[in-house]
Amino acid sequence: MNSAVLLLILLGYLGILFFIAHWAEKKENVKWTNNSYVYSLSLAVYCTAWTYYGSIGVAANSGLSYLPIYIGPIIIIPAWIIILKKIIRISRVNKISSIADFISLRYGNSRFLGAIVTVVCLAGILPYIALQLKAISETFHIVTKTNSSSYIFDDTTTYVAVALALFASYYGTRYVDASEKRKGIVTAVALESILKLVFFLIIGIYVTFFVFDGYEDIYAKASLLENFKEKNTIGGLEQGLNWFFLSMVSLFAIFLLPRQFQMSVVENNRERHIKTAIWLFPLYLLLFNLFVYPIAWGGNVLFEGKNVNADTYSLLIPQFFDNKILTVLVFLGGFSAAISMIVVSSISLSTMLSNNLLIPYSFLGKLRNEEQTINNKKIVNIRKIGIFSLIIGAYFIYRFFALDYSLVSIGLISFVIIAQLAPAFFGAIFWRRGSRMGAIYGILIGFVICVYTLLLPYAIGLTNNESSFVSEGFQKIALLKPFQLFGLDYLQPVPHALFWSMLFNSLTYFAVSVSFKGNYRERNYAEMYVDIDKYSTNHENAFVWKGTAYTRDIEKVLIRFLGEERTKRAMNIFNVKYNVDKNQELADARLVKFAENLLTGHIGTASARILISSVVKEEKITLPEVLKILEESKENITINKKLTETSNQLQKITSELQKANETLVRKDVQKDEFLDTVTHELRTPITAIRAASEILHDDDEIPEELRKQFLQNIISESDRLNRLIDKILDLEKFETGKQTIHPTQNDIIATIENSIEPLQQLIKNKNISVYVESKDQILAFYDEDRIIQVITNLLSNAIKFCPETEGLITIQVKKKENFIETSVQDNGKGINPNDFDVIFDKFYQASNQNFKKPVGSGLGLAICKQIIEHHKGKIWVESSIKGACIVFTLPVKNIEN
Amino acid sequence: MKKRHQQKLVVLSLLLLLALNLPIVLLFDSSESFLGFPIIYIYIFSAWLFSVLMSWIVVQRYYE
Repeated sequence: MNSAVLLLILLGYLGILFFIAHWAEKKENVKWTNNSYVYSLSLAVYCTAWTYYGSIGVAANSGLSYLPIYIGPIIIIPAWIIILKKIIRISRVNKISSIADFISLRYGNSRFLGAIVTVVCLAGILPYIALQLKAISETFHIVTKTNSSSYIFDDTTTYVAVALALFASYYGTRYVDASEKRKGIVTAVALESILKLVFFLIIGIYVTFFVFDGYEDIYAKASLLENFKEKNTIGGLEQGLNWFFLSMVSLFAIFLLPRQFQMSVVENNRERHIKTAIWLFPLYLLLFNLFVYPIAWGGNVLFEGKNVNADTYSLLIPQFFDNKILTVLVFLGGFSAAISMIVVSSISLSTMLSNNLLIPYSFLGKLRNEEQTINNKKIVNIRKIGIFSLIIGAYFIYRFFALDYSLVSIGLISFVIIAQLAPAFFGAIFWRRGSRMGAIYGILIGFVICVYTLLLPYAIGLTNNESSFVSEGFQKIALLKPFQLFGLDYLQPVPHALFWSMLFNSLTYFAVSVSFKGNYRERNYAEMYVDIDKYSTNHENAFVWKGTAYTRDIEKVLIRFLGEERTKRAMNIFNVKYNVDKNQELADARLVKFAENLLTGHIGTASARILISSVVKEEKITLPEVLKILEESKENITINKKLTETSNQLQKITSELQKANETLVRKDVQKDEFLDTVTHELRTPITAIRAASEILHDDDEIPEELRKQFLQNIISESDRLNRLIDKILDLEKFETGKQTIHPTQNDIIATIENSIEPLQQLIKNKNISVYVESKDQILAFYDEDRIIQVITNLLSNAIKFCPETEGLITIQVKKKENFIETSVQDNGKGINPNDFDVIFDKFYQASNQNFKKPVGSGLGLAICKQIIEHHKGKIWVESSIKGACIVFTLPVKNIEN
Repeated sequence: MKKRHQQKLVVLSLLLLLALNLPIVLLFDSSESFLGFPIIYIYIFSAWLFSVLMSWIVVQRYYE
């Protein structure tokens, strides 16, 4: 393929990325950019050109040892739910923008430690970026079938590197505050993650199913090749140890690589995105590894005996079959993998370079006296130039040192170098006593051992093949052979270097930490890091500081970097959050910490502390004092927690009491009403009786007929009184549960007829027609006497309310699954829907028919309800077009069982 | 997410650490074919898939 065409395709591709990044920065697209899938995919920046091309090379040439690079992350990712969450919380509250900030802040905001971490990262990552550029350049020449030009400005890949550097430096520095989220970059990386995976799967499927005839075919042909068995097994205990060390180094790398820290911590918008990443990211890695083996061994079969670089099988195979589109697609996938690594790494490295090395050690003095706009411009420019020169620098490393090693070996060297941060890093979040000196000496010693056992031999290997350094050791001392240090000769160079460097690194870290007392600031941050869950909402409280400071001075410093308006807004937020008077002249510890946090994103933790401490006067506190204060604040927090718990409980009890009280009051009112009505009801017949008896007593000359009439009245009123008292007693028995029912199996139709029988006369008198629908036998379980009482009651109500002419009562029985439903419907004046619930209350009618003398006792329906409920049935009013309809249910089976 | 459920995931991590390293991984160290893949690949990929599934189940069920 023509170079110019491929270059055009590349530029078009970069253009699309520019567009995506630009689009993602817009606020209205936040739904697309701030979600857990974008977050999980952006983590796949882990898969670089090394994964894309290098894995195949390893699988083809030496075997399984590319797998541990993914095994390590797979092992630790489930535990992210605790570890990564903790790191994210710490970084969020402290506005941390890089791993150098993270480590140096924990060890007492140490400027020196931040600088060391930055240098270690630079040493580890710069060759790694060079490696990605090498991959782009080499694959470019393979696709175009050209040779790289020895004159740098003639080589097209130079211009690709420049374009990349411009892209990264433009989009990586949109914000002065480095802890701001770069949505554009994250979205572009997530998109590239999809592309590289899809293109890799396509070539995998192509090789497996189109070039070959499935996995079995590849296996059948590949297994005839030389060394197939050795290259597809781990191969014994020693190799198993290598495997273990490689998986450990990648386990560290997934936390410590600057680009991983950038994506998983700094760019994390919400903690809950971890929820998706925990399963999606391992799944992504799994998919990426499925076709490595088929492509590698397919390539081995196809190119047996030819001298080709196995790293590039995925390009050579489609090219071999003259499939141009596929070749370009694979190339674009590799390009994506490389540039996302280059862009993200250079952004995070330049942030470290500016915030942890350049600003605190040189620019700070200049920045201190400038205006805000100039300051911001300067900071951004430092980072822009940083990103640009890092990428270009890496390109020069690649060109001038002509990196001859395969992708994997250089990648692993950088993993081992970065792993030197592991003891200090994990100690930071889990071990309170880890100290600054321990971290510094540990990292330094580990780094020196790395240089001796890995960097030096490789550098010598690049320049001078006749050196005896590797084969005979430094000064020809056999024990100092860089690849067999102290005679350890059964590990491969990378695991070997990892073992010795990590051993000395962690031993030093632990030994120094426990031997020497750290200062109070370290201990303060140690508490904050280890116990972040306690402090995540009000972490300013956890900062112990004593001294004199004036709010005005602090504000002045803030204005220099944030500007007038943002400072004012931030101060307002602070005052509201901690309920501080805005005219307060003296600043307290919380404001000092708050101000440091505000500056941290702009100039890094170390510079922020230097700046703030230049305007405040801090008194030294002793370590025990710090611990005491922290202890107190911790106690306060627990006491507060307990207090809230108790007050919550009290609240609950109070509301329960209130409810109980309300019920009691209501019941009391009901009881009063009941007594009132009962007395009233009792008095009516008594008054009548008394009136009649009085007349009879006083007047002896009443005519016989009238006297009979009066006596008749007395008898009927006494009857009524009797009935009323019976009913009240009845109801009371039901309500207090003294009444029992004796259900037996009965036919409801017969019962209805039995109930109608005594009422026949009444029905005839009012000329009412009564219909019973359903004549068949319907069996149910109930106490027949009681149900006759209910039906009689309902019927007499219906008769009472039926119109004078054309009265109609319909009784309907329906059989349902577990119960029967009986309804009594009349065509009278009906019931007001508002009263549907209350008509079953005692004396309901008394309060509603006061214009008319009550008909009946007003207890009938209340008793019906009690009876039905004792049968475990229900009774209710159904709305109907004309008249009233009352329905009740009875069980079909014996309720006792 | 409750501490107890978080610990399920930590236990999964420990399991993977044991399953994917020596000595256990060496028990499956064979290049014999199974569905066209050497057995060691099959073993590692299955453990991998198992961890994806387990993590998915735990977070779907308990992450609130």
